[in-house]
Amino acid sequence: MQLTLNEKRLLLELVKKETTTPEEMGTILDRPADSVVQYGGLLSQKGLAKVERTVTTTLILTGEGSLYLKEGLPERQLYNSFSASTSIADLNSHPHAKIGLGWMKRLGWVKIEAGKVVKTGDAATSAIEAGLKNPDTAPADVKKDLLKRGLVTEEESVRYTISITDEGRKLASSGITLTGETGTLTAGQISSGAWKDLSLRRYDITKRPRPLWPGKIHPYQRMIDEMRRILLDMGFTELHGSIIQGAFWNFDALFQPQDHPAREMQDTFHLAGEQPLPKGWEKVRNMHESGGETSSTGWGGNWDPEKAKATVLRTHTTSLSIQHLAAHPEPPVKAFCIGRVYRREAIDPTHLPEFEQLEGIVMDTHVNFRNLLGYLKEFYGRMGFESVRFRPGYFPYTEPSVEPEVFIDDLGWVELGGAGIFREEVTSPWGITCPVLAWGLGVSRVAMLRMGLTDLRELYQSDIDWIRNTPVIHGGRC
Amino acid sequence: MPVVSLPYKYLERLCGSDRKTIIDHLPMIGSDIERILEDQVDVEFFPSRVDLYSTEGVARAMRGFLGIETGEEIYLVNPSSITFSVDENLRDVRPYIGSAVIRDVNLDNEAIISLMGVQEALHWVVGRGRAKVAIGVHDLDKVSPPFRYYGSPVSRSFIPLDYDREMTLAEIMEEHPKGRDYSHIVKDKPVMPLIEDANGNVLSFPPIINGELTRVTESSKNLLLDVTGTDERAVMTALRVLCTTLITAGGRCESVEVNGVVMPDLSPSLRNIDVPSCNRLLGTGFSAEEIADILEKMRYGAEKAGDTTVLVRIPCYRADIMHEWDVYEDVAIGAGFSNLDARLPATFATGHEHPVNALASAIRDICTGLGYLEVMPFTLSNEDVMYTRMQREPDPAALRVLHPISEEQTLVRTDLLPLLLDLLRINKRRELPQRIFHTGDVVLSMQTFQKLALASTHTGADFSEAFATADALMRELGISYTTAESTDPAFIPGRAADIMVDGMKAGTFGEIHPGVLNRFDIDQPVSGIEIDLHLLFPGQRETKS
Repeated sequence: MQLTLNEKRLLLELVKKETTTPEEMGTILDRPADSVVQYGGLLSQKGLAKVERTVTTTLILTGEGSLYLKEGLPERQLYNSFSASTSIADLNSHPHAKIGLGWMKRLGWVKIEAGKVVKTGDAATSAIEAGLKNPDTAPADVKKDLLKRGLVTEEESVRYTISITDEGRKLASSGITLTGETGTLTAGQISSGAWKDLSLRRYDITKRPRPLWPGKIHPYQRMIDEMRRILLDMGFTELHGSIIQGAFWNFDALFQPQDHPAREMQDTFHLAGEQPLPKGWEKVRNMHESGGETSSTGWGGNWDPEKAKATVLRTHTTSLSIQHLAAHPEPPVKAFCIGRVYRREAIDPTHLPEFEQLEGIVMDTHVNFRNLLGYLKEFYGRMGFESVRFRPGYFPYTEPSVEPEVFIDDLGWVELGGAGIFREEVTSPWGITCPVLAWGLGVSRVAMLRMGLTDLRELYQSDIDWIRNTPVIHGGRC
Repeated sequence: MPVVSLPYKYLERLCGSDRKTIIDHLPMIGSDIERILEDQVDVEFFPSRVDLYSTEGVARAMRGFLGIETGEEIYLVNPSSITFSVDENLRDVRPYIGSAVIRDVNLDNEAIISLMGVQEALHWVVGRGRAKVAIGVHDLDKVSPPFRYYGSPVSRSFIPLDYDREMTLAEIMEEHPKGRDYSHIVKDKPVMPLIEDANGNVLSFPPIINGELTRVTESSKNLLLDVTGTDERAVMTALRVLCTTLITAGGRCESVEVNGVVMPDLSPSLRNIDVPSCNRLLGTGFSAEEIADILEKMRYGAEKAGDTTVLVRIPCYRADIMHEWDVYEDVAIGAGFSNLDARLPATFATGHEHPVNALASAIRDICTGLGYLEVMPFTLSNEDVMYTRMQREPDPAALRVLHPISEEQTLVRTDLLPLLLDLLRINKRRELPQRIFHTGDVVLSMQTFQKLALASTHTGADFSEAFATADALMRELGISYTTAESTDPAFIPGRAADIMVDGMKAGTFGEIHPGVLNRFDIDQPVSGIEIDLHLLFPGQRETKS
């Protein structure tokens, strides 16, 4: 039987004492008492000792209890505050009037007569007053009153006794050698072979170690990286660009009418300064006013170039998509972007003024609406959303438009993003002649669904313990 | 998007179908069901489909979609002898007015509620909060034509809706609830738009309030519509939607002559749809007949006009049809999205990571290897966190938001380290040591760049830790550097260094100044590092907007 040095020392002392306390043994072995309890526990697991745990409850005065012990209970203080009788109104000015009057009546110290409180003459020390002095010896009903009035609290104290068993005695008499145990092996002991003669200390494998917190990537970034990997695997090129955009690229190039409310300061963060219009802006103007060279009627009215020069924080990553397309009008183009976008919204658990958006575009000679549905199914499928369905949607810059929904256990069908084919009004000014499939997705919304978050702020103003305790592999996905 | 309340009884009566069938199909014609109540369903329709903002409009679309009644509705407009004159003095105030008469209406309570609903929705979506378009509906029998639309002085008075005394236009703008809501649209104009009848009775003070005189009640039989605004196209759109809604509700439409122009024009517009183009865009193989059938379900008039052409008559209320693709979309909706097989195309392309994100990934590898935990703070911050608490001067290149929504978000961040300190403040009760990092965008003078910052807090966080960490970072980034004495006031003098690369300052590290820690309410020492990535990797200088 393998015993640690401390177990052996305790066992040998137990042979002399038969029964002992951890405190007594702690002094002898020069160890803390709770360590002795632990050694005793290890011996008892092996049947060599017995550890008995007794719990005793004692009543301890609360702060209020101690105060009243000194100054008298409220009913006593109240009783002493007037002579033979007083009016209830006068009594009410006393700080203890409320609680004191009830108890005085219950104890029979006073009577109420015609709105007056009159002393009965009998106001001997009550059982509670006596109990407050010695709560532990008070009768059970008084203890109950003391507890109910919050004058005392119960405190548990645990005591251990350790005694030797027959088996322990037998082992001790067979002889125990107190050779020292080795904790950390040294280089010398390993190379010299001295380790062969050492007794290596055993560890308690049931006791969890102090947690070790590795450096790691933020759970939300891991999810973003998963989406990036899926799109890269599907052959998409990643875009990245400025978070500052001209209204031209953010709205006008996307055929958003100039009087659209979303453009205004109410909904969009505007910044000082103007952004120059790019070459070819006149075609966008023509598109708005009359539909340019397409079959479109346009919005009519006058398009104001000054309005298009406003500087905004991008409200969607579509402003990057259209600039990428304008720079690459020849097919094929497959590109995506995951980036932060800005909406002038007050912060609450599900709305933030900034959040991530994912957007993918595919431009090629023969791509069509069914292909768009195909991409959506494929992407959501790879994200782990097996059931996807589609219903009509509306976005100012796509036609046809579609809103994909995914099925989530417990929630049912959940709308997740939007998609469509870029309107010809959007693509034609840049000489793009092929259809452009596009879809977008609120990344933080997926994070909420995936990680079960109820407050989006957790992603950006994270509790470090949440990051520490969110496993890298979450629900089997990595 | 406006929410339209559809009472089941009225909806079922107009539709000729039961509520369950209707509710099941509502999302498939393009709407979000907000809530299903005991006697009505509240539905959000897309802003493009103003024709669906009434129970009548939804019923019309649903009858087609369910195959109960397909093809276009024909709207007859008989002449009335009613005329309107529009005064020149409104040219720069609110020049356009559309009008029509609807006779023999039988308005029960539900029809009146529906009419008010479509009016509200049109005010909001087409009218941009009544600035662009405002609508008035009047009991025609209370007034006498001809009518006059002109610019009046503010001293003119009449009894506005919901009041029992005469008020001047100025008083209405000050005191009437609608006046307070909408007076901003006209109050700076030299004259106020006003509509009155042959006897000088006021019908309406657009865009603010109608007169009590012409209030529409359940006993109203004949209605006069006025639609005023600053954009002729939008005015006519609203007028057509209103007229067709009321015709569907059972009314007869009569025309009105406005300065000699007869309106409303409720005739459809014509488009030839190219069948192969439609099939190419949708990925379908429909014949001309099939497309015509589907479009009839969507309440168009449609007939085959050759093997590859369908002649489409677009109902006058479909203001959203601007382009052929808008009709193609209705082909897809009419066919049912669920009947279109999702299919991936054969577009060949290889994936490419953006260099900025490739670098960010590599940096995450290095920092997590050093035991740091990634955080992702907001990019919007404020002067206090960014500069004051850091004991730094405000950066003149910082971009300030013109209309911030709160004091917390007044500018776009120029540095990352302050945000890490703010996170350490939030987490000050959490177990130490805490080592956190972030890499991401900052904006200076309209340009987006990337930075990297790390912060470590525990009882022994000091300059040596910062130096060792910065040294490891630079080694792993493959960049040789030297150090120079730093004067950054966010750090303790003598315990901070600038990272110099090719003679340029590319970053700073050291022990955070206790004054800064006090301002962030942090109790433990902090060592910090901030590096300008675009100075280390000039090839990655961010594209301008």
